[in-house]
Amino acid sequence: MFVCLCTGVTSQVVNDVVANGASTSKEVAAACGAGSDCGRCRQTVRAMIAAYALNGSPSRT
Amino acid sequence: MSDYQLHSLVLASDYRVDDVERMWSLLKQRRSHLASIGAHHVVVYSSTWEPGRVLVTIGIRHRRSVPELLRSPAIFEWFDAAGIDDIPAIFAGEVVEKIDFYEPSPEDVVAGVIVGAVASVDNVSALMDKVHGALDRFKRAGVRKIWVYQAFDDGREVMILTEIDNEASARRWIDHPDAAAEWMASAGLGAYPTLFVGKFAHVMSVEAAG
Repeated sequence: MFVCLCTGVTSQVVNDVVANGASTSKEVAAACGAGSDCGRCRQTVRAMIAAYALNGSPSRT
Repeated sequence: MSDYQLHSLVLASDYRVDDVERMWSLLKQRRSHLASIGAHHVVVYSSTWEPGRVLVTIGIRHRRSVPELLRSPAIFEWFDAAGIDDIPAIFAGEVVEKIDFYEPSPEDVVAGVIVGAVASVDNVSALMDKVHGALDRFKRAGVRKIWVYQAFDDGREVMILTEIDNEASARRWIDHPDAAAEWMASAGLGAYPTLFVGKFAHVMSVEAAG
């Protein structure tokens, strides 16, 4: 899925960034650009970070 | 089914609004904006389990750069009109297969319950083989049709819309999905919305921009 409409960053990319240690939406934005422009995707990014913290895997079981 | 419906790009988004009918009224006024991005149909499904939750699909006539399409003002205006501040993740893909167990109904008549899922699967081709091997079981479970879409940005990501006879059958399907319906187990994590359960609400055809 496309997470950030402004930059075209996908959930795969955000997943990878989170798996590599990004733990806040700011860190995700710095690493891949998602949420760095209008910021309207940050809630989705935060949900993905929370899912990773819970499951150890952002979107795949 | 027309050729463009099989091969066109499909965008889908799942979000919540205060008033579905008001959202639809406002969106209809933006038909020309949708025409400008090549939309041909917009379909809205309204959740029966979660008031205000909608699943919206937009068919786009021609394949084009998805990032470029998503950056277009028409998409942002779409969410603005719906009163959405936090934009959800958007599925962008194309039809893999539409399996109808009965004669296709007119596009504005969808009587059953729609169960929508976005999920990651191991292999889409293998998934379709499993689905085809389970069609009799699916039909006995009350499934009327299954529409399978594959994401452009992730070859393992699918969106699957299943139409089921009625609410009782849909609940059974959700509680005890067929083993071939592997997407049911992996919906709802991370960027993926939880299972959507609802009814067809509206459809709008959009003429090509002149």
